[in-house]
Amino acid sequence: MELIASMENTDKSLIDAHRQGDPAAFGELVRRYGDSVLGYLIRMSRNREQAEDLFQETFKRVHEKAHTFRGPQIKGWLFKVATNVALDGIRRGKRFKTVSLNQQLDCDNPNGEQFGAVALADNSCNPSEQALKAEQTEQVRRAIQSLPERQRATLVLAYYQQLSYPDVAEVMGCSVGTVKTQMFRALKTLANKLPEI
Amino acid sequence: MENHLTENELIEYRFELSSQEQQSVCSEHLAGCAECRERLDKLNKKFDALDLLREDAPVSKELISQVTAQAKQPGRQKFVPFYKSPWMGAVAAALVAGFVLLMSNLNTDKSTQRQFAKGLQQEDRIVSKDSRAKGQADTDPPTRMLAQDTDSKIEMARATRPTQAEATTRIVAKETSGMIAPTKGPARDNAVVETAIAPASEPIPEKPPFAPASAIELVTLPRRDKVQLTIYNSADLTLVRERRNLTLKKGWNWLQFMWANTLIDPTSLSLEPLQQAEKIDIQQLVFPARLRELGRWLIRSEISGQVPFEITYFTSGLSWRAFYMGTLSRDEKTMKMQGYVRLGNNSGEDYENAQTRLIVGQVHILDEIAQLARRQYPYDRPGMIEHDEYAFKKDVSITNGEYKTETLGRRQNWFADLKAKEIKKEGLSEYFLYTIEGTETIPNEWGKRLLSFEAEDIAVESLYKYEEQQWGNQAIRFVKFANDDKHNLGQTPIPNGNVKIYSHADEQGYLSYVGGTAIKYIPVDEEVELNLGPARLVKIEPKLMDFKTGNYRFDNRGNIAGWDEIRTWKIEITNTRTLPIQLEITRGFGTAYWMLQSESPYEKHDARHARFMMELEPRSKQAFEYTIRTYHGTREESLRQ
Repeated sequence: MELIASMENTDKSLIDAHRQGDPAAFGELVRRYGDSVLGYLIRMSRNREQAEDLFQETFKRVHEKAHTFRGPQIKGWLFKVATNVALDGIRRGKRFKTVSLNQQLDCDNPNGEQFGAVALADNSCNPSEQALKAEQTEQVRRAIQSLPERQRATLVLAYYQQLSYPDVAEVMGCSVGTVKTQMFRALKTLANKLPEI
Repeated sequence: MENHLTENELIEYRFELSSQEQQSVCSEHLAGCAECRERLDKLNKKFDALDLLREDAPVSKELISQVTAQAKQPGRQKFVPFYKSPWMGAVAAALVAGFVLLMSNLNTDKSTQRQFAKGLQQEDRIVSKDSRAKGQADTDPPTRMLAQDTDSKIEMARATRPTQAEATTRIVAKETSGMIAPTKGPARDNAVVETAIAPASEPIPEKPPFAPASAIELVTLPRRDKVQLTIYNSADLTLVRERRNLTLKKGWNWLQFMWANTLIDPTSLSLEPLQQAEKIDIQQLVFPARLRELGRWLIRSEISGQVPFEITYFTSGLSWRAFYMGTLSRDEKTMKMQGYVRLGNNSGEDYENAQTRLIVGQVHILDEIAQLARRQYPYDRPGMIEHDEYAFKKDVSITNGEYKTETLGRRQNWFADLKAKEIKKEGLSEYFLYTIEGTETIPNEWGKRLLSFEAEDIAVESLYKYEEQQWGNQAIRFVKFANDDKHNLGQTPIPNGNVKIYSHADEQGYLSYVGGTAIKYIPVDEEVELNLGPARLVKIEPKLMDFKTGNYRFDNRGNIAGWDEIRTWKIEITNTRTLPIQLEITRGFGTAYWMLQSESPYEKHDARHARFMMELEPRSKQAFEYTIRTYHGTREESLRQ
């Protein structure tokens, strides 16, 4: 609890510093929350390239709208901005591009610059296991992609980003009941689409 | 809780979506119910698959620096409403108009610039590597372009349209990175040029990869450049030949294709390079386990670049039918005939600009393609076809002789197609091949009608037939002609199909429907009779006038062993038409032993039938009589002798 309070205080001070024109503060903010925001955007979008575009757009808005932040949790606010950016981007479809074909899986760096392919949990590089896991991962990705945008956002925030339902409701700008309904519908759909592992 | 938990309740329990009270009720139930616990375990395992996407992707330093650099750029300017200063509004409007015109001329937008600039950054890295390996001297024009100062990239992007050079550059970048990819734009048309751009440098590993290392190493089939359909009408079978340009890397390439929601037989798939065949080897076609409706070709290529390939396969769901419209002249001595071909596509696949060939003739196939296409896995045994669904699909395009497309309001497209397209015909050994001129686009679930031929002034004979054993007590109307030169036909066999015959009803040229029938395949020089159904204006009434028996023969016990039956028939014919008619009356006697006496001419049609031929004047009546003696029992022997 103490750690969280400490972190929140630091976040607030970072934002304050950024508002006062400290360029290093914003960089620290990006470094601190970049991974989880990018992870969220990757799951919301079709590929890493699009996710990176949305990532840049998200932090651009964070930079511009920093004065509107009222606290206390910056993480929730960041996801709120990221959700708006992602939903806007997906709806407009202007940044949709095809999956990059220029990347190859590197057995030595299985968690490298990959998305929509394999993120191997082990380093065995057994070809058949690799292929199977790649297909299963792809099936999961497709299943999540097939969800309506708000259901997808709810699922990613609640399951992958591990936000509580009230926090998700805050991010999505709706009631907790709505979040649970969206979550249930998403899970119900996924139950029929997820592969057996 | 007495009942078992539903799946919905289990999901709500697993993800804590229900109220606390409900959660505790479920928890209690699960504690005492092994079956529900098992189902919950299964559900948990199912959702464990979500963890395959659990890993967070770390943000690269490059991306962080881009974001922070973006933040350092000047923020938004203060907005001054133009309505407060009208002159500013006018100036701004002029500036905007000028800017729009300028931008439309340059045909560039920010996203293109950014994308191209980003691409240049990647390509620059790749080329730098290449340059170190090969030396700077032999750089080709695209490479030289990439080697320019990176600081000027945005400027270049602004000034550059998607030109040939750009497209080529993109391909070089992809090939250098070792991938196979479909290409777009001008580069697509330059197959031969592209194949020459990437010389061999590294040896190809002898052992092929077991499987693509990841989904991003795969490429789905690019768009087809050309497609040819050969549709058989005797079986639900179509041979599809497609040409597609694939861009290969040197080495092993995986090409993925899917046939979901189509009726393609995956086991019939074949892939052949049309150029550089000696340097490209199609090694195997793989159907990965547990993945349905998906296959992958493993291709070994000694070259890098774009190569045209031909893909052939069988599909079902495409069909064609011939049908005809005949219009009789007012005197019914000649007929105008129009032949049409109706193409239907329920294959699940759109075929654009397809050269279409139609085959007449029986073809022997081992399995129904539709069944093959619906197997759970390729090379599985064909399962039972869902007849109802299939019949529904087949019936989609044709309902009561009308096209579904007509009901969908696509009629306007048809009339464009009604313009006669030349359908070339040529004979094959057992089949006859019709090739439709040009190309046709046949979207899925669409039908299309094309004019096949048109012949004027075909001399026809109107003929009425009467035969009780075949048609009962009514005369049947026929139109008779031959598929030969004399009848302005005879250039090709006529495929089987439905014929509708119309006649001119009045002087204004209005048509009335006379009748319709189905015809079988008519070879050249063969006569054809079109059955137009019962004739209402021609009556034929046979009357039995007399019946007697005689010439009894007895056996040794005194029983009747043979006798004759003598019948006298009177046939009354009424022609209420305003035209003379030809009539053919066939009478059957139930035995091959008969003797007929009549003043009207007749001929023996077969062993048991005699046929009277006559002509009747318009609006006239005529009658004739005949006496038929039939021989029975031992009397048959006397006739035979």
